[in-house]
Amino acid sequence: MPSTSIARPENGQNKGLFNNTAGLSTLITVTVLSLAWLAGFASRLFAVIRFESIIHEFDPWFNYRSTAYMVQHGFYNFLNWFDERAWYPLGRIVGGTVYPGLMITSGTIHWILHTLNIPIHIRDICVFLAPVFSGLTAIATYLLTSELWSRGAGLFAACFIAIVPGYSSRSVAGSYDNEGIAIFALQFTYYLWLKSVKSGSIFWSICTALSYFYMVSAWGGYVFIINLIPLHVFVLLVMGRFSQRLFVSYSVFYIVGLLMSMQIPFVGFQPIRTSEHMAASGVFALLMAIGVLKYLHSLNPKGQWKQLLILGGMVAAAAVFMVVVLLTYMGVIAPWSGRFYSLWDTAYAKIHIPIIASVSEHQPTTWSSFFFDLHVLVCTFPVGLWYCIKNVNDERVFVALYALSAVYFAGVMVRLMLTLTPVVCVLAGIAFSILLDLVLREDDLPMPPVDNDESKNLYDKAGKLKKRTHEPAQPLDSGLGMNVRSGTMIAFMILLMLFSVHCTWATSNAYSSPSIVLASYGNDGSRKILDDFREAYGWLSQNTAEDARIMSWWDYGYQIAGMGNRTTLVDNNTWNNSHIALVGKAMASNESAAYDIMTMLDVDYVLVIFGGAIGYSGDDINKFIWMVRIAEGEHPKDIHEADYFTERGEYRVDSEASKTMLNCLMYKLSYYRYDSGGSPPGYDRTRGALPGNRGFKLTYLEEAYTTEHWLVRIYRVKKPDEFNRPRLSLAKRTVPTSNTLSKKTSKRRKGLLKNRPTIVKGKKVGRLE
Amino acid sequence: MQFSLILGTIFFSLALADQQTLVLVDNLNIRETHSLFFKSLQDRGYTLTFKLADDANLVLAKYGEYLYKNLIIFAPSVLEFGGQVDTEAITKFIDDGGNLLMAGNAAAGDVYREIASECGFEMDEESAAVIDHFNYDASDDGEHTRIVVSPTNLIKAPTIVGDKNRLPLLFEGTGLILDKDNSLVMPILTADSTAYSYNPKSQVKEYPHAVGRKTVLIAALQARNNARIVFSGSLYFFSDEAFSSSIAKVHGDQVRSEVSGNKALALHLSEWAFGERGRLRVRSVHHHKQGEKESSNTYTITDTVVYRIEIEELKQGLWQPFEANDVQLEFVRIDPFVRTTLMKKPNGVYEAVFKVPDVWGVYQFKVDYDRVGYTRLYHSTQVSVRPLQHTQYERFIPSAYPYYVSAFSMMIGVFLFSFVFLYYKEDSPKTKSE
Repeated sequence: MPSTSIARPENGQNKGLFNNTAGLSTLITVTVLSLAWLAGFASRLFAVIRFESIIHEFDPWFNYRSTAYMVQHGFYNFLNWFDERAWYPLGRIVGGTVYPGLMITSGTIHWILHTLNIPIHIRDICVFLAPVFSGLTAIATYLLTSELWSRGAGLFAACFIAIVPGYSSRSVAGSYDNEGIAIFALQFTYYLWLKSVKSGSIFWSICTALSYFYMVSAWGGYVFIINLIPLHVFVLLVMGRFSQRLFVSYSVFYIVGLLMSMQIPFVGFQPIRTSEHMAASGVFALLMAIGVLKYLHSLNPKGQWKQLLILGGMVAAAAVFMVVVLLTYMGVIAPWSGRFYSLWDTAYAKIHIPIIASVSEHQPTTWSSFFFDLHVLVCTFPVGLWYCIKNVNDERVFVALYALSAVYFAGVMVRLMLTLTPVVCVLAGIAFSILLDLVLREDDLPMPPVDNDESKNLYDKAGKLKKRTHEPAQPLDSGLGMNVRSGTMIAFMILLMLFSVHCTWATSNAYSSPSIVLASYGNDGSRKILDDFREAYGWLSQNTAEDARIMSWWDYGYQIAGMGNRTTLVDNNTWNNSHIALVGKAMASNESAAYDIMTMLDVDYVLVIFGGAIGYSGDDINKFIWMVRIAEGEHPKDIHEADYFTERGEYRVDSEASKTMLNCLMYKLSYYRYDSGGSPPGYDRTRGALPGNRGFKLTYLEEAYTTEHWLVRIYRVKKPDEFNRPRLSLAKRTVPTSNTLSKKTSKRRKGLLKNRPTIVKGKKVGRLE
Repeated sequence: MQFSLILGTIFFSLALADQQTLVLVDNLNIRETHSLFFKSLQDRGYTLTFKLADDANLVLAKYGEYLYKNLIIFAPSVLEFGGQVDTEAITKFIDDGGNLLMAGNAAAGDVYREIASECGFEMDEESAAVIDHFNYDASDDGEHTRIVVSPTNLIKAPTIVGDKNRLPLLFEGTGLILDKDNSLVMPILTADSTAYSYNPKSQVKEYPHAVGRKTVLIAALQARNNARIVFSGSLYFFSDEAFSSSIAKVHGDQVRSEVSGNKALALHLSEWAFGERGRLRVRSVHHHKQGEKESSNTYTITDTVVYRIEIEELKQGLWQPFEANDVQLEFVRIDPFVRTTLMKKPNGVYEAVFKVPDVWGVYQFKVDYDRVGYTRLYHSTQVSVRPLQHTQYERFIPSAYPYYVSAFSMMIGVFLFSFVFLYYKEDSPKTKSE
């Protein structure tokens, strides 16, 4: 069926009467899409306008740093980059532990622009990459939706995805992260997959595989694709919708996609060695088996073969499943990783992997955040889903599976809201399009059949019947429904307006903070910028030795490396749990025990974030309990979580806090010399308490720098040879000494001798002793 | 010849700066009573500045620069130093690298105790003296405090005490107690097991602070910055009288000697304390991959690395190659992955050739040579050990040949098939249609 593969030219082949309409609809499509692109781009610029063109948050700093490295040193050096500045003293092979798609994308853009003699700094490309890609995502979503339903629905979906907060949360200007380009790759891969399933052409399958390759190179979320597409194929097989088209498209996609995904160094042999990828190969084997059985069936198409086909299919499925299980037991295939377990059992991470549970993005989603991120779409997308299931065909099975799985995952982890957003936009677009079809049909009554023909007659059987049933009903309503229609229209327009207002508001207020520059508002509405982070990182880069090693909690690792250009012990690439636990242990131990760990790790400076003075709640004391938990996981003998709570199990910092808490390094570094924060001086505004341990002195560290608002505090770790003479403290002395007060004054600086000989003129000098 | 002359002048001028010495006495008579000791110092080139300990104009440093490199305190009766000198100034002097030779006696005041405690040992109570009823000298005045100490009680460290100490030693003064937890202090000379430290004029009522061999007579400390402190409980030990008197032990083996070993030991101690002996330094460090000449900061796993370090020792005012066969090198990433003894080569060069472990990361070459009597020799160089680059892996491994064969046979097969498919004329359909 190659003719279906080119759907667009068909529009041009309309009957003469509608030639203009076709041109007009293309014009509308292009205009709407470019406006969507523009709106999406513009609404993501709040961060740049309010603050400046900087890289946001944590991970983007690493992406930016490695992109800059790649641009400077070339791709192969980037691939072989051994970063000795990270994870001291383990180091990190960046090329092998990174999804390079993002860096390559912006590196390519940079290269093209420079070839055209447009000198643009790589930082600006990085900052504006995600907003630009949001426009591409809108186009991909349009293509996907028009493949599923109609072009009108596609335009709706494109407009939705362009501004919906669930997507713009990860793609505002400056948020230079994998997700920014990965959502485009995701939508585009799905579009091409539907295209290839529909057409059964090798060309589209190869395109799908290529797009999948780009997705693999860009984001770890590619696993979603490589499980969803096999699931689609599997469900189609179960539904008895096997076809040559499906066979061709999946087998081509799987083999080519598999080979290409293994070219990414970070992925390597995972596609054939881990459980996450086994569904794809299992479905591939099953598809082959069913293909063979079908072929046998076609040789002798008699009744009894049907049973054989079903039985054979089930046996093949069971055999494939058994083989996978067996290989897993033999250890050929790695079992599911912890992150995936936590998708099935939300409590799993909390018990077994505190480092995953500690990330706020990995918490289960609250109901309100569904509404906050999707607004009206979350209410309308079930309508679209219902229509898709009602008028089911091969592609709509796919979108139904996509929607159901994405809803589940979004409920498990806040972060995966991102994968839900596109499908919600698609389905809500379909729902709105159906609604408008219903409401506006009366105006151009002769038109709809043409539209219907155009979009569906080739493959949609059930849908056509459905429409027919509607059409006779409409004239009945038309007399009475005029007011209802306009009322519905107005209601929906208001709804859409509210949606766009909410989207803009949410993007501007909730998602446009760079989080390395904070803004606070005074009573008179004046804005105050708190630039403590950059102040501290700037201090580090100017005042410390080139190879100074900075210990901080892993959250700040990328920023220290990116802005301070100094060696860090742990960073946001949390690949080594025991190293992080060691840092956590140092923070949770008392000063002398921490000093042992710090000398072992050659730490030169310690950096802590302290929000007590300005009431910044994301500081280290609030994160501290996770450090304790992670440390306890690796060092259960030395660190006990219960020691850090009061007897009643409260987490406090005031005088009722536990002794361990009041003497641990993190506490001391946060509250050392702290006397700000309003009245009484030394009041902690974040915890709303007066610190319990105050006025203490540090033995092994000395304060090196504290930023303007006490937000970042840097301490220098003293070297062992600074403890030059191990002096005997007063308490340890066995021979008591009397503390005599000095009798010297500023004028009389003469010392005192026992039995000082007096010189008497004319006599010999007397001798003492 | 000229070169050595220039070198000589350089060392001489360096030595001059090292030899400014302040001597604090509580009585200028000490200059006379200890003249042999001071004379030997002056003979070795030290410039001695004698000051009374309570001099109102005492200063150690001017405008942040120390006027003296060495400090001798022979002032047991001082209660408070004059001028700007006090315990704090003296400890700061030590922390900034100055050397200190200090001698007290039973009458020493609390300032002595303070300074001793700052250095990690303690001096016994005021008026307490080391008493040994079995090993006292004939010249003792009845309190058995002028004791004879056998040279076998000396620390076994030739760099500090020299290696020719066979003569008995005379000691009269108070005992010292060492802090057990302190690994830097050294007991240079301990008393015999029959000795104890107490006030000789009063009855023993409580257990003495120092008993037997734990009674340290002379203690030393080499601080982490290589400043050296020698603390003697006896000022008499350094006196002309002790240097030249003959020894006749009253009890026991009744050791006799024409002359005491005090002079030799005192001179050795002063040589060590003021940095004439036992000073090591790293002249140069070089490391490179075997077969290459250039030094590099990055090695690949399983490279063979050559590490070379040149160590020198100060001998008679000149830096000369250091001879030892126990210098070790460690290749450390948190834990040492490689620990090997450096091979001695001529001219004080030590070399190690070893294979970098098959674990990537940031490593340090560490030479940590810490021997009693020598300054601490520590040198670390940070290098990174990186994994293989994508071009460094083996290309044609034997186990891959079946795959090569299958891939190429497949390609040939497809080529042939397409050739056949395109150019083979099938006759049978015609026959069918016919």
